Amino acid sequence: MADAKPKQERKGRFIVEREYIDDSRIHEPAKLDAGGIDISGRWGLLIEPRTITSFDHSLMRRVQREPGGAYIQRCFQCGNCTAACPTAGEHPEFNPRYFIHVVRMGYLGELERVRQHVYRCASCGRCSEACPRDVDPAGVMTAIGTAIRRKP
Amino acid sequence: MSESVIVMGGGPAGLRAAADLAALGIPVVLVERRGELGGAPIRWKYKTLAPELRPTEEVMDPLIAAVAKHPLVEVHLDAHVERVSGRAGDFRVAVSRSGAGTREFGARAVIAATGFEHFDASRDPRYEYGRAANVIGIHELEGMLNTGRVVCKDGRKPERIAFVFCVGSRDRATNPWCCTVCCGVSIKQGIELKQLLGDVEIYNIYIDVRTFGLWEQLYWESMEKYGINFIRGRVSQIFDTGKQLLVKGEDTLVRGPFEVLLDMVVLAVGITPGEGTAQAAKVLGLTCNTFGFLQPRHPNVHYDSGKDGVFLAGACVAPMSIEEAILAGSAAAMQAAKFVRAAALQAKAG
Repeated sequence: MADAKPKQERKGRFIVEREYIDDSRIHEPAKLDAGGIDISGRWGLLIEPRTITSFDHSLMRRVQREPGGAYIQRCFQCGNCTAACPTAGEHPEFNPRYFIHVVRMGYLGELERVRQHVYRCASCGRCSEACPRDVDPAGVMTAIGTAIRRKP
Repeated sequence: MSESVIVMGGGPAGLRAAADLAALGIPVVLVERRGELGGAPIRWKYKTLAPELRPTEEVMDPLIAAVAKHPLVEVHLDAHVERVSGRAGDFRVAVSRSGAGTREFGARAVIAATGFEHFDASRDPRYEYGRAANVIGIHELEGMLNTGRVVCKDGRKPERIAFVFCVGSRDRATNPWCCTVCCGVSIKQGIELKQLLGDVEIYNIYIDVRTFGLWEQLYWESMEKYGINFIRGRVSQIFDTGKQLLVKGEDTLVRGPFEVLLDMVVLAVGITPGEGTAQAAKVLGLTCNTFGFLQPRHPNVHYDSGKDGVFLAGACVAPMSIEEAILAGSAAAMQAAKFVRAAALQAKAG
């Protein structure tokens, strides 16, 4: 079967070792204006670094106040929740252990990338049965979903 | 012929050994390299002890008092054992005392309890220890906690403090062994900083958290009650910006390299063999293992040096907690007492 769509030009095609960089970190505006001067083209290319530059615990504090989120700080990242989760087996982007850590440490850029997947939780509660520290990961997933939907 | 036992080292293990032998009626000559009794907990002014944050004096004061006041214990400070000759049951021990010359003692048995040193972090250049003013060791923080004042070098109150675990431990570039106590001690200090400073963020950067046995409660409490943060990874570099410290590492739980600005970094410096340990090995003809700790005859029986009449106690054999060192001192005293009694009976029989 022939490909109906024309092949799209890939973002950041001038970048050396292009395969190291996610599309989401490349900003390549088609048109860029600097004080009336058109500087469109390669000059406008911006690559966001992957590096974490700050820890921000404000979202975690909001999660703690939402129903189900109170015990997020008990987590010691063993991964029993993810191991017990039927959804995580199908969707690698839905990982309760990972969500808990990203929220605790406030990796907001990473959270932005995976946030829509937090709603994949089916609330079956298997994670909360498996958790050795009574974090209630199912409750925490709900609380994270609520907290990121609401404005701070 | 002297009935005495020579105890080399006046820390928790040596003090316990000396106190127990004296209580059994056996005279003791205690030789301490430094100018005071107590070993590392006194030298570095440990404020409290893991795992229950009880004041160090609760443990050390009775130990020191039992030895200092006992008529059967002769304490020599600023002294070291220079030479041991003779044979088991009838040793001649030359003790060199700074400014007071050398004196020889007869002894039936010898206990080596020469302790440990905190790892000198300036040996590992990536941490800027000794150059960046706000990079300190856990032993130094202990002294600061004891004064009740923990501030940056310029007097600012630190708002973000990281503990870097396993400095000088579990690392081929420095020391490959685990010091066993620094996870627990760091976590304890994080809790104490929270109690002292209030709104401070603590980041424990760890490879594994090894809070063995009942020390695990420290780890749980630090997260659940005090909200202390744990980041799995290892710090590759610290840069001093003048005002803050840029700490570079990776959060391995999210495959996330980080470069964050913090106010203070506390290095969980490990346990390394003490200077006195090499000297003890030399004069007693003992073997050190590849790490520099004294090698017992069997790895699971620490007190047995493999030489008749010579017993080992405490962190000169392996890294250990103060509770273990005290037990080891008592165990070595029991072995030495058995040996002294047997030698005395043999001497009597003629």
